[in-house]
Amino acid sequence: MTDRRRINGPPSGTRPAVFASSLKSASGAATERPRRHRQPNELRKIFLKTGLIPSASGSAYLEYEPSASLAAARSSPQSLIPPSSALKLACTVHGPKPLPRSATFSPNLVLTTHVKYAPFAARQRKGHIRDASERDLGVHLETALRGVIVAERWPKSGLDITITILEAEDDRWWGDAPDSHDAPWGMMNVLAGCITAASAAIADARIDCLDLVAGGVAAIVSDDEAAAEEGNSSRPKLMLDTDPAEHKSILSACVVAYMPARDEITEIWLKGDHSKASLGVDDSSLGHEALIDGAVNAARGAHTVLVEAVRESAERYAGLSTSVS
Amino acid sequence: MASSAPPPALTLPPSQFARLQPHAYLLAHLSPPASSNQPSLRANGRQPAQFRPTSANTGSLTHTNGSAVVRVGDTTAVCGVRAELLPTSDIAAWSVSHASPDARKRQQSTTTTTTTTTKNDGTDADAAAEESQIQDLHLLVPNLSLSTGCAPGFVPGAPPSALAQSLSHQILGLLHSTRLVRAEDLRVWYQVPTFAGEEEMEVDADADAEGEGRKGKNDGKEIKAFWVLYIDVMIVSLAGNAFDAAWAAVLAALRDTRLPRAWWDADNEMVVCSEAVAEATRLSLRGLPVASSFCVFEADAAAGWRAVIVPDAAEEKMIEEDQRRGMQRRWVLADPDGYEEGLSQERVCLVVDKEMGKTVIVKMEKNGGWAVDGRELKQLVDIAAERWESVKQILELC
Repeated sequence: MTDRRRINGPPSGTRPAVFASSLKSASGAATERPRRHRQPNELRKIFLKTGLIPSASGSAYLEYEPSASLAAARSSPQSLIPPSSALKLACTVHGPKPLPRSATFSPNLVLTTHVKYAPFAARQRKGHIRDASERDLGVHLETALRGVIVAERWPKSGLDITITILEAEDDRWWGDAPDSHDAPWGMMNVLAGCITAASAAIADARIDCLDLVAGGVAAIVSDDEAAAEEGNSSRPKLMLDTDPAEHKSILSACVVAYMPARDEITEIWLKGDHSKASLGVDDSSLGHEALIDGAVNAARGAHTVLVEAVRESAERYAGLSTSVS
Repeated sequence: MASSAPPPALTLPPSQFARLQPHAYLLAHLSPPASSNQPSLRANGRQPAQFRPTSANTGSLTHTNGSAVVRVGDTTAVCGVRAELLPTSDIAAWSVSHASPDARKRQQSTTTTTTTTTKNDGTDADAAAEESQIQDLHLLVPNLSLSTGCAPGFVPGAPPSALAQSLSHQILGLLHSTRLVRAEDLRVWYQVPTFAGEEEMEVDADADAEGEGRKGKNDGKEIKAFWVLYIDVMIVSLAGNAFDAAWAAVLAALRDTRLPRAWWDADNEMVVCSEAVAEATRLSLRGLPVASSFCVFEADAAAGWRAVIVPDAAEEKMIEEDQRRGMQRRWVLADPDGYEEGLSQERVCLVVDKEMGKTVIVKMEKNGGWAVDGRELKQLVDIAAERWESVKQILELC
């Protein structure tokens, strides 16, 4: 059944372009996996700006710094296949506004979150209708934010948070076979970005919160190539703010929504299994707790950016109110 | 005012007055009292024929063949163009319906190139056929999304609203009617190798009379696939006049679009592409149609409520009279923002292009009222032509 409310493509469907270089799988040496140039505990730079969408009561735009390989590919393009991608998303907050007449009474603020990928956000074209992963992200985001907002202050009102992802993170390096690395790791980075942006947008809408909640990602990766270079056996390492395209295998990853002032976690999502990984003698620290601590540290890093963005928003608001009165 | 000390309850900041009495607020801005010596400006500080500052940026999205962000004031449109392949084997009845007329056409074109007498005629027919191919096979798929939280009224996650649907179709219609994209750019050709021996070819060449015709078929270029361009526009922020911003974004993204070199790989029986940027080709677009929208604001506050009727002669005369006395009754506002759009019924949308210094009207749409007549439309075309110059500069810089 075709969607009559949208303009549809050819009825037989279309196929994404297949590049000749990807067919010659044997000689994969032509293109290399992008390398991580950051320290294990170094985050990517975050661009976060509030108030870009004036018709909303609060808004934020978040962008990650492109990785070194992507930046190189942009400045001097050689190949049409991008080596990796950098997160770009826009978040709007509408409300608090009265609930529709038909809704039942609610003593608290009713929070609704929508996360939607743009059709051109990922390597594969996304559909117009929200799929399971997008709904999943929406639920995760809602739990992350529900613990932060002081919901009792707005009875009988609703708050709509909408996130449009213009460019998503890759789940794996494009050259890897789809099944070698199957978990959607990119989604976790997207969720961390969503949490940070939504937090900025809520603050921009001047809705009371317990604290500015920030999202952070950490992962335990076993980089075979890097280990081989160093000469020791492949030992899993803890990395903050991982770009999935840069790692051959991510054993497990964790994303948290963290409030630094209260030292509280409102949302945690752990994925993967690193119990089977060959842990060294000194690697007793690589448990789940280490992973969560790493994610919390990443969130602390994002929080510093968040504070700056919110201060900017507050200054703009203060300037606005003085000029009006 | 300060001496009489008015009760504080009656002093309203302008922003609240604008919300309570939008029509009177805008009218007061447009027709200030003669004593105040203020120029007639809109509530947002623009001249009636002034457009909002526009900026454009292209090529910032990684996973697209071409992308653009266009900001017109507070309205922001992000457009990404994704190209995918449509093999002709997937098109129902391709071999029946298209292969034969195409061969005939090619035969025609070979004869015209040999004679070169009716070349103009031939290209015209070519262009018409091209256009129909893009339209018939749905090679351009524009979709506009408003459910991005761009404005409070649009529910995210809901099916596209009536406005989004109509904007998508307007873009599609304009893409087809302007024939902006050439079908030739979207075709993937395949040169069928000749397995026949040399001698046979010579025999063919001897039969001169039908040689031309045979050659047309045997020389064997056939279309193996088409590129389908998915043109997705996300209105990230909406503050009126979505169409101008969306169309400018589509235009900028198409100008930015690069299609990889593609060929038919006979061994794998599929179309493969080259990833080298140097081999990729840009689209060669036909012209640069630029859209400019206007709305008509009427001094009569009830204009929006009354049924649309043909203004009778007496009323027209009265308005004329007023105009002569320096009292304006209606204003044509260029590039309306959301506030002005809500206060006006009548809209005009003009799409103009310039070819060798001559302004060409590509599309003219007017609805919702009777105020704008032929004389005013002529003025609007001039304004749109000025707008074309500035948009061209912006698009060429990005």
